[in-house]
Amino acid sequence: MSALSVDAEPSQSSAAIAWSAHGELEVLSFDLGGERFAIEAVLVREIVDPLPETRVPGAPALVDRVVNHRGRIVPVADLRAAFAMVAAPPGAESRLVVVELTLDDETLLLALRADRVHEVVTLAEASSEDAPSVGVRWPRAYVRRLVRWGDDVLVLPNLAAILARALGGAGVSE
Amino acid sequence: MSAEDPAAAFRIEARELLDQVEQALLDLTHRLDDLTLVDAVFRGLHTLKGSGAMFGFDALAAFTHHIESAFDRVRKGRARATLELVATVLAARDHMRALVEGDAVPREGEAILARLAAAVDGPAAEPVVPTQSAVPMASAAGWHLSFRLPREALVHGINALALLDELRALGDCSLVGRRDTIPPLDQLAERECHVTWDVTLRGDVPRAAIDDVFLFVLDDMELSVAPLARLDPTSTAAEAGAGVDAAGEAGRADADRPAPDTFGARQAARVAQGELVRVPAARLDALMDRVGELVIAQSRLSQLAGDRHDLPLRSVAEEIERLAAELRDTMMLLRMVPVASLFGRFRRLVHDLARETGKAIALETAGESTEIDKSVGERLFDPLVHILRNACDHGLERPDERVALGKAATGTVRLAAHQAGGAAMITISDDGRGVSRARVRAKAEASGLVAPGEVLTDADLLALIFHPGFSTAATVTSLSGRGVGMDVVKREIERLRGTIELVSTEGVGTTITLRIPLTLAIIDGLLVRVGAARYVIPLAAVEECLELSVEEDQRSLGRSLITLRDRLVPFLRLRELFATGGEPDPYQKIVVVSTGRERVGLAVDQIIGSHQTVVKALSPFHRGVGTFSGATILGDGAVALILDVAQLVARGQQAEAMEQAA
Amino acid sequence: MSASILTVDDSASLRMAIRIALTGAGYDVTEACDGADGLAKAAATRFDLIVTDLNMPNMDGLSMIRALREQPAQAGVPIIFLSTESDAEVKAQAKAAGATGWLVKPFEPEQLIRVVQKVLGR
Repeated sequence: MSALSVDAEPSQSSAAIAWSAHGELEVLSFDLGGERFAIEAVLVREIVDPLPETRVPGAPALVDRVVNHRGRIVPVADLRAAFAMVAAPPGAESRLVVVELTLDDETLLLALRADRVHEVVTLAEASSEDAPSVGVRWPRAYVRRLVRWGDDVLVLPNLAAILARALGGAGVSE
Repeated sequence: MSAEDPAAAFRIEARELLDQVEQALLDLTHRLDDLTLVDAVFRGLHTLKGSGAMFGFDALAAFTHHIESAFDRVRKGRARATLELVATVLAARDHMRALVEGDAVPREGEAILARLAAAVDGPAAEPVVPTQSAVPMASAAGWHLSFRLPREALVHGINALALLDELRALGDCSLVGRRDTIPPLDQLAERECHVTWDVTLRGDVPRAAIDDVFLFVLDDMELSVAPLARLDPTSTAAEAGAGVDAAGEAGRADADRPAPDTFGARQAARVAQGELVRVPAARLDALMDRVGELVIAQSRLSQLAGDRHDLPLRSVAEEIERLAAELRDTMMLLRMVPVASLFGRFRRLVHDLARETGKAIALETAGESTEIDKSVGERLFDPLVHILRNACDHGLERPDERVALGKAATGTVRLAAHQAGGAAMITISDDGRGVSRARVRAKAEASGLVAPGEVLTDADLLALIFHPGFSTAATVTSLSGRGVGMDVVKREIERLRGTIELVSTEGVGTTITLRIPLTLAIIDGLLVRVGAARYVIPLAAVEECLELSVEEDQRSLGRSLITLRDRLVPFLRLRELFATGGEPDPYQKIVVVSTGRERVGLAVDQIIGSHQTVVKALSPFHRGVGTFSGATILGDGAVALILDVAQLVARGQQAEAMEQAA
Repeated sequence: MSASILTVDDSASLRMAIRIALTGAGYDVTEACDGADGLAKAAATRFDLIVTDLNMPNMDGLSMIRALREQPAQAGVPIIFLSTESDAEVKAQAKAAGATGWLVKPFEPEQLIRVVQKVLGR
């Protein structure tokens, strides 16, 4: 059942994509590892050029770096680690997408890696479908929906599920 | 429009007063005949009643009135203070607290009053009789009055002319000042009042109105009043001549003696040390954040200045560094409060626990002036309550058991605090039965934490107590629940970046030691480099720094122990631990850190220097990593992780143990 | 020019309530937290009126009133004390010490203002 309110903080669980009353969703889309991802525009705080990174020894590969973003220490999440993609070196178009998420009653800042960031677009629920159970190399729990946009298929990742492993399994708000 | 709310301010004061009353009552249980304590309790109740009524806390005022009356009887020697009475008044105090907070249950109040009546001889409260002054009959035509003010009236601030104006306001007046009562000039003291006034007042003025004019001097002045012409006697007016006396309370025989305010003694001591200012804690937090940001910016400035060969700039940067350090230290102090405030709340707890368990328990405290950060103290309250409950409920034996064992009938629980390095050490010890190893073992096996026959050291066995889901309570008592929560306690202490340790001897007692960093926000750090990355080690934990000689480096390759000045010390190579990669610097350094009991040497490539470190919490994603307790931003904007000394020391211990076992 | 009033009480909430009431009526109010503080402030400024509680630490109200009256500079300054009940003995003591008038707690702001106006004559 889709949620009706547009301004509620969208939960990241697969069950609750906050399509508007007209079945629409504003997303920011970006390229990473050859795929095109989309996340809710309301989550996005800022898009910045790559920053000097500090490694956190012992941290899971998904979040093993941090950056100094306006005086705050923000972990960098590399979705390529979750989707078993090859990690390519950053290019001229690489950016960090700083998002704000609520997980387990805690509000967190996270910087998502992106090879290239596109504009904010409006997706239609009518053009979306669940990820197929065969034929993809990703864990099904990591994808909420696939949405057609022009000639492309955008992947709406399930950030909560992906990050839950890095949080030790705790902190997934369903 | 300001947001001032006297009722809210009263609530804050009431809480303090109630705490002081509680402490006095607890002292009274040890010294039932101490009249200064009785007086202190009475004064507190008295103030609460009066001020409560002022700010609309009518239920509080009414209830307190009864308690105050009861204590008044004790104060006057008409009733004796007994343990039962004190216990009842303690319960009453709790009800009063609930009345202040707005969540009182009226039935409980009634029950307490009934107990109170039984505990004190005779009626618990004197009936409240509103005062009614006799009001003389009114006269329709007016009055003739003659008055002379007391001699010192002018000095005492009586405005004689204002009184005349008030009379004039009542009706048509003709006034004559008589000089016959004025002494001759050489006997006339300035500022003394000698004039006698004759006044004819025409109009339908009640007698009470005249008394009202002279309200404040009525008892001391000469006043004669005669009606001008008596018409029909009129019944007394409803205006009780009480003037501004709106309370209408019972006239008590004895006065509120202005005896030395022993109750306020502690308060006076605090105030005597200088004015106190109340600041909302949130404002201190905000200030703390600003100071943190200032420190970071100052560090950047110092770095930039260091890169330039600009002497004036450098000296200004140094000055700012010094000022920032002082500001930081002052901020630390602002938030520090003595643990006495924390310990004080436990006296009541132990008293109640003793009553409920039927045990005799004495609470000793030491080091109450040791200071800790205010919010750290608040977060320690629940864990400490838990530990105390365990000690009183499970640790201490009943008096008969103790005597049979040759111990004193009264069990002792001791709370002590002192500062060690950058941390506050808080110990809770009892002289009870200690932790039964057999019971811990049995319970651990029953919970599946330990396999039967598995070999465990004593330390490992005791550590199981902190494991989630563990309980050694033979019976579930309502007092401390399942006698567990030690895992919750441990987690909370660790959230404060502290450590908890348990030492126990069966039959003798148990001691729990908490080690809490004094402040969470800004620490003195030692900046080191491992590979290309920089890390911060809390300076308070650093014992010494040494060179790692090439020989010793060779000798200890692959080993977990190193010889430092002829002693073997556990040893960690941070390059290996952090998988830094590449080749180490030729001349490495060893930083020896300790938690006070254990130490470990950390091999780093370079020791850069001391660094004021603004501690930023780790993102939840990195909390599980273990070796880091936080992160900071350096002067050049880079991030440096802060090493968790306790964890590293533990790792060193493990590695050493494995090596020795091999 | 507004009359200046000094209010002396160790209870911050009571001081606040009195200050709000009196400034609302157009008076200038200064606060002191106990008898010693009251003495110090009165020495620095001559007030048109002093309102004081009796029960305070660090010098109670009666002592403060007595001390004030010993100073010629304070002669004629009206002093109102707050009492918790209509107790004859307390009043007698306070008046003997040099108080001008009194106000019994609990009181409404209007009652306070009336007493102040009565004693000040304005």
